[in-house]
Amino acid sequence: MLIEESLRSAVSSIKTNGVRSFLTTLAIIIGTAAVIAVIGIGSSASKALEEDIDELGPRTLSIFPSQRKRGGISSGFNPLVIKDAEALAKNTEHNWLIAPAMSGSRQVKYENNNISGEINGYLPVNFKVRGFDLGHGRLFTEKENLGRKKVVVLGSKVPGELKKSVKQLLGQNILIAGTSYEVVGILKEEGSTGWQNPDDDLYVPLLTASQRIFGTDRLGWINVGIASDTNVDYVMMTIEEILRQKHDIGPGGENDFRINDWSQYSDLRRQATGIFTALIAGIAGISLIVGGIGVMNIMLVSVTERTREIGLRKALGATHRSIMMQFIVEAILLCILGGLVGVFIGTSLLYLFASFNDWPFAMPISAIFGSITFSALVGLFFGIWPARRAAQLDPAVSLRYE
Amino acid sequence: MIIQTENLKKEYVVGTQTVRALRGIDLSVEKGEFMAIMGPSGSGKTTLMNIIGCLDTPTCGSYELNGTPVSDLEDDELANIRNKEIGFVFQSFNLLAKNTTLDNVMLPLKYAGFNKKEAIIKAKEVIEKVGLIDRLEHTPAELSGGQQQRVAIARALVNNPSIIFADEPTGNLDSKTGEEVMGLFKELNSNGQTIILITHEDSIAQQSNRVITIMDGLIKSDNRD
Repeated sequence: MLIEESLRSAVSSIKTNGVRSFLTTLAIIIGTAAVIAVIGIGSSASKALEEDIDELGPRTLSIFPSQRKRGGISSGFNPLVIKDAEALAKNTEHNWLIAPAMSGSRQVKYENNNISGEINGYLPVNFKVRGFDLGHGRLFTEKENLGRKKVVVLGSKVPGELKKSVKQLLGQNILIAGTSYEVVGILKEEGSTGWQNPDDDLYVPLLTASQRIFGTDRLGWINVGIASDTNVDYVMMTIEEILRQKHDIGPGGENDFRINDWSQYSDLRRQATGIFTALIAGIAGISLIVGGIGVMNIMLVSVTERTREIGLRKALGATHRSIMMQFIVEAILLCILGGLVGVFIGTSLLYLFASFNDWPFAMPISAIFGSITFSALVGLFFGIWPARRAAQLDPAVSLRYE
Repeated sequence: MIIQTENLKKEYVVGTQTVRALRGIDLSVEKGEFMAIMGPSGSGKTTLMNIIGCLDTPTCGSYELNGTPVSDLEDDELANIRNKEIGFVFQSFNLLAKNTTLDNVMLPLKYAGFNKKEAIIKAKEVIEKVGLIDRLEHTPAELSGGQQQRVAIARALVNNPSIIFADEPTGNLDSKTGEEVMGLFKELNSNGQTIILITHEDSIAQQSNRVITIMDGLIKSDNRD
């Protein structure tokens, strides 16, 4: 019944001084809102990232040529060639998709417009491995690749760079390094990956690129598409085994290629996001503590204002403990109310932010409970001193306080 | 004997001066007495009430309440005695403004640790005694001065105290309402309730059975009817 009395007294005090209570808890409100929004945005962002990775479907490994070292001395460049890719494709153990590619910059011309375009030699399967979607027309076929046909698929921004619309270009011939190629398809916009922009590039069949444009069988890289539940380490071992045999590297010799696992980067990105989130949330948490000082201040005012009431309660038999409880409950309640309003505002901010960015709405329940518990602790901590002052008042003196 | 004091002294230090508010009070009050303490302001009557009301402790001397020495108890033990043994009625009523009649009267029972159900029954009993059973859910602002003081008297009575202290209980009331409140005290006294009245009005004091006059921290006169 004493707790009920404390609560009743706290509610009535907060209600009586509505504006003052609101202003006092403002820092708590802002702090909690910031913590909640930041944690929510962090977790929504990493959920969005996960969904992106899932959308990629198969996981991608990339093989690049690398310098071979013999006795610490570089012995030149041992290239990856089309035959390496063919050897990998022959292995069916992992159900992988082998996507060899080569690329280089060439002049591209249509009517009077000249641009320098990045030409990629691709197999049809490369589009699947990269997750590129077709916007208009069609992709080239395996048959066209084997026939070294002069066909080209454009990145979504290439027509614009040639100052033509998609309709004006589809089915037309453009000049690549002076040779005429038929535009068979145009990709959807893919967006920049950060280090290259597939929308600016042009894509021709690999063998066409190898023989007609670049005059070499050296590959820039080989992408390997694997199912996301595949054992990556085992796949890497198989790749190594095949390529070492192909490149005639004996036991103890070092690889003349390297294998990248792109998903490692997204793990890193996720980790970085997590650290960033924790940092910002920590800073926002400091404003909760600043808010606590405000609460302490207003509680001291409240104690002074209610000196007579405290004297009366003591005259009626309130012990040290029950007076302390009354004021601590008030401080905690003030902070919890601030915390609740903050959670509401923070969640709304997250909702707006997530829908604006087309992210999933992910608010960890633990963040909500955690921040409200933390506000309550702030109230407890900063309520103790004012409450002690109230409890130590002399009943005889405070009863006659004007 | 409810109250027994011997050579009660109280000194305050104000700045560099020592104020001797009480200079040796010997007083005994028996159960069922209706006593008035009179004296001009500064005479020490408030200090005396604070000490025998267990709101304050004497500098020296002994004080037994119901046979229990209370002059050197701890704060929380004194709180417990105030809660169980003493009921206070003040000049300015001192009701909690946001609370109803029922809640105001229940307050001492909350500190006594009663459960809610029992507390409501006991509170309603005394509210009925002071004639305000139809004002249970009213807040002090909705009551007249006389009614407010009767709520305060109900609050003082609710824990069956040994003594009721009333500090200028009619000071804020007009004479007619004051008479009603005094009538209530007399009625309670006739049922055996010990009452100690602090007042500076002769007409009020004369309605009691015993009048003590305090002057300069000492008992100057002690007249029984």
